[in-house]
Amino acid sequence: MDPSEIEFIAEKSNIEIIPKFNLDGVIHLISGDIGPFRAGLPLIVPLWLALNLRQRNKCRILTPDWMDVDKLEEKKEEEKNSKFFTKMPHEHYLEVTQLLLKVANDDINRADEIRTLIKDLWDMRISKLRSSVNTFVNSGGIHASLDHLTQLEINSIRPLLPDALNMLQSLNQDSDSETEDGDSTQNTTRNRNTTDSFLSSSFHSSS
Amino acid sequence: MNTSEVAELERELLQNEDLDEDDNEEKLTAQDVLEIIEKAWLNEKFSPEILPHKTEYVDCMLEQIKYMESNISFLQSTDIQVDIYKFELERIRYIITSYLRCRLRKIELYAFYVLEQETTRNSEDRYLSDSELKFAVEYIQNLDIHFDSILKKMPWNLQTLEDPNKRIKPNMDSYVFLRANKSVSNVIIKDVFENREEEVELLENSQHLLPYSSVVMYIKDKSVQLL
Amino acid sequence: MLCSNAVGLIKQLERTSDDTVPPYDTDNIRIVLQEMKSLYDENVEIVNSTRDHMEDAMFALKIRHRALKRNKRCLLAYLWNRLERIKEMRWQIGSILPAEMKCNFSPSEEQWLSNYNKSLASYMRTIGPNGGLNLLQNLKPPKSLYVVVRSLVDIGRIELDDGEMIVLKKDAQYMMLRSHCETLIHQGILEHVL
Repeated sequence: MDPSEIEFIAEKSNIEIIPKFNLDGVIHLISGDIGPFRAGLPLIVPLWLALNLRQRNKCRILTPDWMDVDKLEEKKEEEKNSKFFTKMPHEHYLEVTQLLLKVANDDINRADEIRTLIKDLWDMRISKLRSSVNTFVNSGGIHASLDHLTQLEINSIRPLLPDALNMLQSLNQDSDSETEDGDSTQNTTRNRNTTDSFLSSSFHSSS
Repeated sequence: MNTSEVAELERELLQNEDLDEDDNEEKLTAQDVLEIIEKAWLNEKFSPEILPHKTEYVDCMLEQIKYMESNISFLQSTDIQVDIYKFELERIRYIITSYLRCRLRKIELYAFYVLEQETTRNSEDRYLSDSELKFAVEYIQNLDIHFDSILKKMPWNLQTLEDPNKRIKPNMDSYVFLRANKSVSNVIIKDVFENREEEVELLENSQHLLPYSSVVMYIKDKSVQLL
Repeated sequence: MLCSNAVGLIKQLERTSDDTVPPYDTDNIRIVLQEMKSLYDENVEIVNSTRDHMEDAMFALKIRHRALKRNKRCLLAYLWNRLERIKEMRWQIGSILPAEMKCNFSPSEEQWLSNYNKSLASYMRTIGPNGGLNLLQNLKPPKSLYVVVRSLVDIGRIELDDGEMIVLKKDAQYMMLRSHCETLIHQGILEHVL
């Protein structure tokens, strides 16, 4: 999946804003009602809308509770000391932080420290993820538990991990059973999600 | 447009959010339908095979979009609401088109296989919508015409392309990421390496990496969601 | 060597990048088809002349038959993989491909593309209850409603999806609804200004 699509999903999260305009009544969006908007009074809207309004200087975004230097320091310590992945304060912690810092940097308290902390957290988790993937593949396991990994983190090991497992699987199947038609044994590389096909061009012929 | 007209419009918009589901009596709001489509979109993106179509929900959402658009056209174009409505419709349109594009790609790639499978299903259990089915049939015909252009130049005993050789099959054992929407016990994972089986329990909200074949029925009954 | 031209066709595709369609290699295809004809004729010849000592000839027959099948497979794989690329191009650029791309297609490929366009269009027309949905739009997640675009050509007055008319002048910048300009960007009429 393209990271822009995960960002798109992250933009569904709710966030608190302080509008700079008045709008009577409720806006009936398909994804739910929002409003009324009262200048100076906080209300909760989807992130995509918050960013859009902020870009047009129609609101100020309130820093989410979890986006707090002390809390993130604590989280970082916890992640460092844990063998497993700890639960993140937000399912899209990296994307939301990046989006907010890009569009509403001035609205976020201690933005630079937040940026560094979130990046540290991400790096720490990704390197943990890499080494667990390695251990998992070497162990010959056929099932992995991935609790507390966020969608973006999971996406970062795609397509590598599923592909590697699919490849191991198919190599194993090949050594188990001889193929009937001599032609198809010539065909060594596989399409990611596809079983072998007559039409695939992935010949690696010796000629 | 004056305030009372706006209020009237909003009431209409609100009323139209109540939509009927064909299968049962349960009333679904537009928001529910959107969530169903969003989940179907992600499942479709990550599953190797094509999943059962959701035409009734897609149609319903497209109807809703059209309705919203016609209502928006009554609002002043400078009204901030217009942009908010339009932006949401753009987001929904993206999900729907991306979902249908993803299905179309699978239909094209696995055309022969998909159609073979489809012939084994009753009309109410079809995986393809009527329009998709028609597209798949035409796609194969078109492909056959093209292949024939070279096949008929070959020696006579090689001039046909046997069906099994046209068939590209999705790898049903390919690994997928998923989250359990509710606890599912006794999920069987076949270990092709050791030629044995392993049984796991998926706890509610837990996340896993598993072969698609182990959870295919739980995706279709919505117990698990692909990630 | 047997089948080397056929494998050459496959290698040709592997050497070129996925987003290009190299010229249809009529010459090599003709050579492969010629090789197939010779292999076939030789086998027929053997079968006709050595009716009595069939076992001795079996090896030669089998090798030629394998070579024939391999040639066939390579030719079809060549065709199929080219179609995948042509299709990709059609999605990227639109239904009207520039002449310099089309001149690399074989007549049968052109016919295929035109049939594909027809069935794609008729499929899209039947989506939903209100006269269709264009799947060639909304290709990327929407980031903002409006985008700034620059016109690359003097195209004059054109009609947008919602019926509104605008005049596009070369090098002039416009603020447009993303959904309105996506197709025009694909066609190379507008350029997205970052």
